Amino acid sequence: MSDYQCDPTKWVEMKQPVDGGREHYQAKSWNPPKEKWGPFTQSGPAPVWFAEANATNWTESMICKAKDLFYESKLNECFDKGDEVAIKIHYGEWNRTSILRPEYIAAIVEEVKACGGHPYVVNDTTLSYHTYNNMAIGSYQSEGATRHGYTEQTFGCPVLIADGFSGEDDYRVDLPEGNILKETYIGRAIAEADSMIVLAHARGHAITMYGGILKQLGIGCQSKRGKYITHLAHWGDPHDAIGFPKFTDACPGKACKFHKMCDDSCPREAHKVTEHGKQWSPEKCRLCYSCQVTCMFSGMTGITFEEAYFPNAMIAHADAALGALKCFEKGKVGFINHAIDVSPECDCFPWAGLSICPDVGIYAGKDLVAVEMATLDGIDAAPVTPGSVAEEKGVKPGDDKFRLVNGFSPRITMAAAEAIGAGTMEYEQVNYEPLLTPDTAGKWQIRPNGIPTTIRLRDTFKKHDLATEVMPFRRTEYNKEWVENEWKKFDPFKGEAPE
Amino acid sequence: MSNVVWVDLEGMSFDNSVEQKLIRLLAKSDATGTLEEGMKVTLKVNTAEAGYEYGLRPSVVKIMAQGVYNKTKKIPVVCDGHKPVDYWKQSKGNTLLKVASARGYTSDTLGGKFVINGGYSGDESDLFSCGTRSTLGGVEIGTAICRSDAMWVVSHVTLHPLFGISGALLNSGFECLSGRAKTRILNGTSPYLFNGHSPSPKEIEAFMENAIECHIGVNNALEGRIFYINLLWDVTPQPEYYPYSDKPIMENMGFLASSDPVAIDSATLSIIETNNKYFDGTRTDFNHVIKRAENLGIGSSKQRLLRLS
Repeated sequence: MSDYQCDPTKWVEMKQPVDGGREHYQAKSWNPPKEKWGPFTQSGPAPVWFAEANATNWTESMICKAKDLFYESKLNECFDKGDEVAIKIHYGEWNRTSILRPEYIAAIVEEVKACGGHPYVVNDTTLSYHTYNNMAIGSYQSEGATRHGYTEQTFGCPVLIADGFSGEDDYRVDLPEGNILKETYIGRAIAEADSMIVLAHARGHAITMYGGILKQLGIGCQSKRGKYITHLAHWGDPHDAIGFPKFTDACPGKACKFHKMCDDSCPREAHKVTEHGKQWSPEKCRLCYSCQVTCMFSGMTGITFEEAYFPNAMIAHADAALGALKCFEKGKVGFINHAIDVSPECDCFPWAGLSICPDVGIYAGKDLVAVEMATLDGIDAAPVTPGSVAEEKGVKPGDDKFRLVNGFSPRITMAAAEAIGAGTMEYEQVNYEPLLTPDTAGKWQIRPNGIPTTIRLRDTFKKHDLATEVMPFRRTEYNKEWVENEWKKFDPFKGEAPE
Repeated sequence: MSNVVWVDLEGMSFDNSVEQKLIRLLAKSDATGTLEEGMKVTLKVNTAEAGYEYGLRPSVVKIMAQGVYNKTKKIPVVCDGHKPVDYWKQSKGNTLLKVASARGYTSDTLGGKFVINGGYSGDESDLFSCGTRSTLGGVEIGTAICRSDAMWVVSHVTLHPLFGISGALLNSGFECLSGRAKTRILNGTSPYLFNGHSPSPKEIEAFMENAIECHIGVNNALEGRIFYINLLWDVTPQPEYYPYSDKPIMENMGFLASSDPVAIDSATLSIIETNNKYFDGTRTDFNHVIKRAENLGIGSSKQRLLRLS
């Protein structure tokens, strides 16, 4: 940076807080919370079911264990027959490789259908986040979802954008109990569902340090304006850089090779490059992160975040998550965290860093905060992946991994959520291990406990024995010496290379 | 006077199949003339209700989508909105997609990204003026349509109990509205003329007048960049939002295209009047719709019809 000339940012100061006429708007948009909404756990620790990663037989497949946990944790009781059941997932950014594999989602959709529910998979649009975002426009996000394998064919149910073509199809939810937020906005495909099963990919997050099921509610269920309010847009003085990006006066202007991308990054044209810096109009900004993330992704430091922003945003996320919960009656929302491919950053990143730990397993339950706490503790207890950013930062097993990797402890969010009644940080983990029996082996197969594939093939082979008709197969003469010893020539460690 | 191109179904051969005829229709009518590379184009189609079994084949829509893609190099959006009044009372986005999918209408089969106009609820919309001569004032238009750069209205032509004919004028107007706006325009009039429902002539007249004005709002939203394709294929007495249909009223007559909705609907009416064998008209005089639309300056009923085989 020393080679650059950086002029101080030229501020176009705000004259007064922005007023877009919300009093008029508020009168026509309103969705009261469900009368019977409330935290699932009344007292004491909440049960959380856990199935570890790894498998050695049919029943231990992670897919089979996910289905077992669905019933063990009684998520099948989150909905009644005939209910419209929203399956909330994250569709993932374009070119993101570390996402929840479609098979985990299909597995739960299958069981919701088997129990008489009408599932549909949803995600809301996002804010722009960076210059080449894939998820802010409904049709782009659909293309990205298809590219990730999130389609009607793979899931066997509709795949929707929850907040409409543009991200404006939402309901307002009042949050008098919120730590910071007093209202939020939830996509209508979620707000109008009878119940919801949240399937989260547990991994890191650049803003909230960690993202799992609570993040799926606190940002994932929020419509565009729900995301703006949760980002804390226009909270406080622009110079405090809490409700606004932080312009550091370290922008070299046109000398930065990314300056065109930087100018393009704002969907509201709130900033523009000058010869040796930036001009910045906070009044136009709504805090979508596009300029900050584009600058940081480019390895520059001209536009960034104020350090105190992060914990405040984490607490706001907990408030917003409560907004999503309030759209459902008590016990109508179930949660599954998949601590698999635990990458350091969010699925909204257009790449994936090496996982910070080996796959841990799957956590399920009905208490939002308890499931999150169990997941965090499980990830923290896991070894550190060699070559990952966690290893680079000297993280050891047992450390608060996401605090050391991303900056703050994700337990801030959990404490904030507990404080407003979104769940309890106390949990009791039930470790689930499937028993291998003939019944359990066949339970989750393609034709569950039906006629085995091998028996089906008997009939096929009776009609047309494709192997027998070309026998004997043409091969070298069988030679016992070759079978027992000659093959070793191909073993680079024990034999000699074949001549 | 406006140009209308009609490709009939005569002279079928290996090099003159339905697909080739449709491609020729697009070329001869200069359908892509106003499109440019990079434009966001929406195809407004009709997705049938559960129980209606004469819906357009997805492959027909796919040919249109490919035509758009060839010019814009962008995958178009294909959309339809919630039914005016959902007969099966399931008017939610997930149900619409499920019913459409069961009829083969998916992003894969249509060649464009299939979305719900107005989102899950059908109410995501912007308000557009219907002009100073309008009694409606303005209408809310679904976002998949009003936020695109251009629209092709691909109409499965059928008769319509309130409007006379479901063609270019209805599909580029009333059918583009948000669910809430459609409900307002219907004003309590049942669109299902069976099981004892029988709107009075006054109610039908009111709907017709308002539905014509809706087109002006849509045209304003898209600044006139709308192209119309009427498909006279399985022209049933009931429109696609019905939960059933009687058999088609005439043989398939081919496909029409024009940049003028009044001209193309007028030509469509003439073809139906000349060829229908089984049906003696609807309760709405569609000639009156044409005249009213012409009076509002929406287009011209006089057309230069170029018939190709």
